[in-house]
Amino acid sequence: MRTIEAVRRSGVGIGPERTIREAAGIMEQAGIGAIAVIDGDHLVGIVTDRDLVRRGLARDLPADARVDAVMTTPVVTVDADADLHDTFALFRTHAVRRLAIVRAGQFVGMITIDDLLIDLAGDLSDLARPVTAEVIFGSHDYPSPVTIST
Amino acid sequence: MRASVGDRIVIRGHRVRDPDRACEVLEVRGVDGGSPYVVRWGDGGHETLFFPGPDAAVEHREHASK
Repeated sequence: MRTIEAVRRSGVGIGPERTIREAAGIMEQAGIGAIAVIDGDHLVGIVTDRDLVRRGLARDLPADARVDAVMTTPVVTVDADADLHDTFALFRTHAVRRLAIVRAGQFVGMITIDDLLIDLAGDLSDLARPVTAEVIFGSHDYPSPVTIST
Repeated sequence: MRASVGDRIVIRGHRVRDPDRACEVLEVRGVDGGSPYVVRWGDGGHETLFFPGPDAAVEHREHASK
């Protein structure tokens, strides 16, 4: 499975000159917790609601401070066509909750650990269903194989 | 996704009781109506770049205005 196929949410991007007040407002209006910071065509950082609190509010930054003062940079990225197993490895290696997805070097979206967990939970549920049914309702009595002779 | 200036993009809520969100396409940066888009959130809200995912659906302008 390609990484881009596991993405569940749309991505939002803003320029580094935007303020942390604007970033907070965008998170509220768009219903998101993370925004890509893009300078021209280049992804330069990611700012999360947690960044706004810990690097902004907690350090008494004014609301009109630039968002690049609180963003996380550099950003760990993964190619949109990368195998999902490679993305798992990146999450393990970098201990982050979200990765920026790029195609030809340009930001196209974000994938979170939550996205992967939801997918995995769905897969596990599919696997568990026949086993659960067998535990509850007993084992199947499969008919004997039929041999057809000509 | 293909969109034009003036189209509305609706993003469905992800959790129970999460409201849907909507934005208006102000500019198309991709090729042939593709993403990314410059959008404005809500009524007169903030402008951002938007990279649609599977949670987003476009309402074309003529359809949205009915």
